[in-house]
Amino acid sequence: MDEAFVPRRFVVAEFRTTSALLEGTRKMREKGHTRIDTHTPYPVHGLEEALGITRVWVPKIVFCAGLAGIVAAYSMMVFMNAIDFPINVANRPAHSAPAFIPITFEMMVLFGGIAAFVGLMALIRLPEPYFPTFEWANFEKASIDGFFLSIELAKDADAADVSNDVRIVGASDVQVIVEPER
Amino acid sequence: MAGNATASAHDPIETRPLIEGTHTDRTINDSLLNHVWRGAGKGWWLCFTVALGMLGLLVITIGYVLVKGIGVWGNNIPVGWAFDIINFVWWIGIGHAGTLISAILLLFQQKWRTSINRFAEAMTLFAVMCALLFPLIHTGRPWLAAYWLLPYPSVQGIWPQFKSPLVWDVFAVSTYFTISLLFWYLGLIPDLAAMRDSAKSKVKRVVYGMFAMGWRGSGRHWAEYKWAYLLLAGLSTPLVLSVHSVVSFDFATSLLPGWHTTIFPPYFVAGAIFSGFAMVLTWMIPARHFLGLKHVVTMRHIENMCKVMLATGMMVSFGYLMEHFVAWYSGDPYEFSVFFKVRQTGPFAGVYWLMMFCNILVPQVLWWKSARNNLVLIWFVALLVNVGMWCERFVIIVTSLHRDFTPASWGSYAPTWVDICLFTGTIGFFSTAMLLFLKFIPAVALTEVKELRHEIEEAH
Repeated sequence: MDEAFVPRRFVVAEFRTTSALLEGTRKMREKGHTRIDTHTPYPVHGLEEALGITRVWVPKIVFCAGLAGIVAAYSMMVFMNAIDFPINVANRPAHSAPAFIPITFEMMVLFGGIAAFVGLMALIRLPEPYFPTFEWANFEKASIDGFFLSIELAKDADAADVSNDVRIVGASDVQVIVEPER
Repeated sequence: MAGNATASAHDPIETRPLIEGTHTDRTINDSLLNHVWRGAGKGWWLCFTVALGMLGLLVITIGYVLVKGIGVWGNNIPVGWAFDIINFVWWIGIGHAGTLISAILLLFQQKWRTSINRFAEAMTLFAVMCALLFPLIHTGRPWLAAYWLLPYPSVQGIWPQFKSPLVWDVFAVSTYFTISLLFWYLGLIPDLAAMRDSAKSKVKRVVYGMFAMGWRGSGRHWAEYKWAYLLLAGLSTPLVLSVHSVVSFDFATSLLPGWHTTIFPPYFVAGAIFSGFAMVLTWMIPARHFLGLKHVVTMRHIENMCKVMLATGMMVSFGYLMEHFVAWYSGDPYEFSVFFKVRQTGPFAGVYWLMMFCNILVPQVLWWKSARNNLVLIWFVALLVNVGMWCERFVIIVTSLHRDFTPASWGSYAPTWVDICLFTGTIGFFSTAMLLFLKFIPAVALTEVKELRHEIEEAH
């Protein structure tokens, strides 16, 4: 693969308050901009609607994993204790459903919990130590006390146009970021 | 009440603020990270040296046990279980407060959890590590423990007996540790990003940045993140109840007088939360003072924790009452003898009465508001509850075992120096881990406090 390096370009804008960010995000979407994202130090109520996020995947993944945990645990115990090597202890049934409940439950939690974490990481593609928005020193505030909007530019998009748009909707500080070649 | 413009004005019953003073996101960020960025003080080094010494004791004692074998412990027939399982149950119980605060209070939308959850979750992790140590060492050859504990296809073709509560324990405790760790780390990621971005030195930036994994507070990430966090809380809630229930099954499914009782699961869970809150208070009261966290861990938090401690203490007392009632009502002479003769007047009567004093009598002082505001008093109450809950496990395990059905099989028990050093050593391990945590990781979940501050501000 000898592909030419095509830098990702972003317009990143800072907003003073969460409500300004919410409004700005909504308006930018109304203007037809896609590939919008926000960067805030904590989850802001209403941002999902503003970004147009309608579905999340984590709950579905966790549900399936939990179900898999139940099936795996119960079938494991039945196979090991009732089919492969039944041991008769005081003539109790080899396949004993009540005694299998605790481990079935624990495995449901274990599978579901691990899926919640690993699934999340896969969905949001972390770890990703480098992201072009980090190029702007001011962007540090995104994890402390700043509210940012970022728009990834299409190949032929004009950065100045998008910057203008984002200024009109209320951004206080705007920066165009071009991913440097490394 | 009407003119109260404090942070909690939306809640007419509560008058005290959850965050004291006026803050911005920046001041919260800086004040909560301050104790991490500033160098370790003399006090920290002093505590750390002592803790490290005790940890050294643990390492040496474990080495001695591994070389000599577990025969160096005091437990022997008829008291086949003693310090190892007492300490295991005690530590596991302490861990439970962390999960209660972080998961159950989150589901109940108790906003006061926010300032103390990170701290309590860390405590959970370290307490569970201490607990895990005992079953691991008691196998004698811990490096082979996986073969005995986990189901794996061996050449003998034999499998674990899944009808045994001891096997349930393996699954419950290891799941509990894994889930607690994931939950703790997940909550920590945005905070680590904040640390990466406010660190002054390059090294710190790189190290915290690695653990933050490139978190950039993306709105699309938050949307999924919130669900993952909520679901982990939802899974942890029944998990924490199941863990101590399963631990209690180790006893309750046997036929031994003093163990064979159906009240054990709920009463063990209540006791676990009781002792866990006591441990949180034991650490939190000095920590909030020395780390400068009084503005986020306010007297309201302390008072709420006292109330939980009082409530769970009453549940534990009710458990004792019912245990004794059922022993009498069953008409079983062996049960009766254990609950009404052996415990009160036997060789371990002192431990029994200390347990009654610490777990029933001492927490009653928390009915008074003035007591719930007296930090020194609360600290001593919490300390005594820790002692009382340890005594409870001693009473349940040792007094039941040393007097069973046949007088011919009665015996006695005394711990050896190895038992005592191992126990002291785990306290050293716990303290070392807590001190390192307080030095390198913000003790308060700053992202959540910022969010809470934002919510409170919006509500006005």
